[in-house]
Amino acid sequence: MLTAILVLAGIGLVLGAVLGWAADYYKVEEDPVVEKIDAILPQTQCGQCGYPGCRPYAEAIAKGEADINRCPPGGEDGIQRLAELLGVEAKPLGEGLEPKLKSVAVIDESTCIGCTLCIQACPVDAIVGASKQLHTIVADQCTGCELCLAPCPVDCIAMEVIPARLDNWKWRYPVIRLKQAA
Amino acid sequence: MTTLHIEVVYPLRDEQHVVHLEMPEGATVKEAVERSGLLARHPEIDLGGANKTGIWNKLAKLDAVLRDRDRVEIYRPLLADPKEVRRQRAAEGKAMKKGGGDLAAE
Repeated sequence: MLTAILVLAGIGLVLGAVLGWAADYYKVEEDPVVEKIDAILPQTQCGQCGYPGCRPYAEAIAKGEADINRCPPGGEDGIQRLAELLGVEAKPLGEGLEPKLKSVAVIDESTCIGCTLCIQACPVDAIVGASKQLHTIVADQCTGCELCLAPCPVDCIAMEVIPARLDNWKWRYPVIRLKQAA
Repeated sequence: MTTLHIEVVYPLRDEQHVVHLEMPEGATVKEAVERSGLLARHPEIDLGGANKTGIWNKLAKLDAVLRDRDRVEIYRPLLADPKEVRRQRAAEGKAMKKGGGDLAAE
């Protein structure tokens, strides 16, 4: 009887010590939830959620400060995936935010005056150009955040919807329409 | 001897050409553009003439020395005349947006 208690207590102590050491030794530096949320967000850095970029928004969600339905570029499937990750109910996009088709900005070359204001606004350095030189947007790098539209003094930037082609088409994440609870 | 990771871009409206290069230390803008092969594919590029070059949205001379992760850009000249645009806007009586004033001063 006494030996059994001692053996079990000993096993408990040893395993406890191992777990305690492992928790300290394999400590994860950053909150892994922030990483996971950030991976779901579309990385447009557009700021439509009210935060300066995707990562700050992810941190706010992780802290519980922000709702999951503030990201228009992520769309409904983005919200759905966030809801799944965090184990909360999915909800429609927040008010004042409109879902949009994926698009990129294009500069009208006959009106661009080379003022560099759009370049300073671009969060991903997708615009090539310098002072008094024609500006061009590298379509592959443009995230469609629309931040360059407002600063242009001659209104020469427009959004063009990306047409679905074989090389960029992908399955949409399955979205189950939400029903109002009775 | 460290290698420099250089990107050379020649953007056109419908197709933006991006070439990734590895250059030895001390390489210049001119060398990067020549190595990129863009000159052969686009004979319309008039290096040092109509087409100016730059690094990361700032004009740079052809003999400017590159640093790691520089983006060498080949620009095209403006099609619109900024002064003419401004004159038209003034005639229409539209208020200038932010930045318009800087252009007028130039």
